[in-house]
Amino acid sequence: MATVAREAVPKWLAGLTGASLLAAMYLIFLWVPMEATMGPVQRIFYLHVPSAAVAFAAFFIGGGAAIGFLAKREHRMDDLSVACNEVGLLFACVNLVTGCLWAKPIWGVYWAWDARLTSMLLLALIYMAYLILRQSIEEPSQRAAVCAVVSIFGMVDVPIVYMANRWWRTQHPAPVLGGEGSLDPRMTFVLFFTIASLGLLFWCLVRQRRRLEALRRAAHAVRRQVQALA
Amino acid sequence: MEPNFKWLWAAFSVAWAMHVGYVTFLSGRTRELERQVRDLRAQLDQASRTAGNSGD
Repeated sequence: MATVAREAVPKWLAGLTGASLLAAMYLIFLWVPMEATMGPVQRIFYLHVPSAAVAFAAFFIGGGAAIGFLAKREHRMDDLSVACNEVGLLFACVNLVTGCLWAKPIWGVYWAWDARLTSMLLLALIYMAYLILRQSIEEPSQRAAVCAVVSIFGMVDVPIVYMANRWWRTQHPAPVLGGEGSLDPRMTFVLFFTIASLGLLFWCLVRQRRRLEALRRAAHAVRRQVQALA
Repeated sequence: MEPNFKWLWAAFSVAWAMHVGYVTFLSGRTRELERQVRDLRAQLDQASRTAGNSGD
């Protein structure tokens, strides 16, 4: 019979994540210098960009785990894949919403159908479809195999989103990391600190989500045993 | 207050609300599944005892 861990997130990890998120909020609101042109609204950048970075990393780990599942047929790989993809979708949605709320005062509109924004929206829609597909297949092995393919497809889309504002002319600002733009060293520090903090939050959520998936599979296995005995 | 402070406030509020909402959803679903697994295991024990007794 499948066993499920009692604690998904150890206390030290939860404490470290909470402390680092509080420190990140302090740095964003009280420490980092005000950007001269945009004013306070530019601080959305410190949540918007790290959310995208975490979402991209999540989709890569999710896709890698999906490949692992197809190669080894181990359900723990499928657990990791769905956890990363679902939590990644949360961060992608945060990225899209914060982007809209930054665009309104800066561009005068919430949304522009440019290549970066549209490709990011499509990426989020792929993972929404992935989650809907998971709900529609009952048998765990079949569900894992079909969803692994969608997960790999989503992962392949990530570099396209990342490169969109390099390959095409977009309204979205030019990349500040690995691009032509430059940042004040304090801004760069806060950006990377927030990426690390959100990375810790991501890992806590993934651990919790993996436990949920293991519980779901355990429930399915016990239900089948009960039905067999009835 | 700077005129575009409200956008900053809105962005952070919505982002944290999304995270808190997701954590609440995860905790609720986990508790529900834990209860389901506990109930199903109890049913399984009961069913195996019944099957054992009828075999005697």
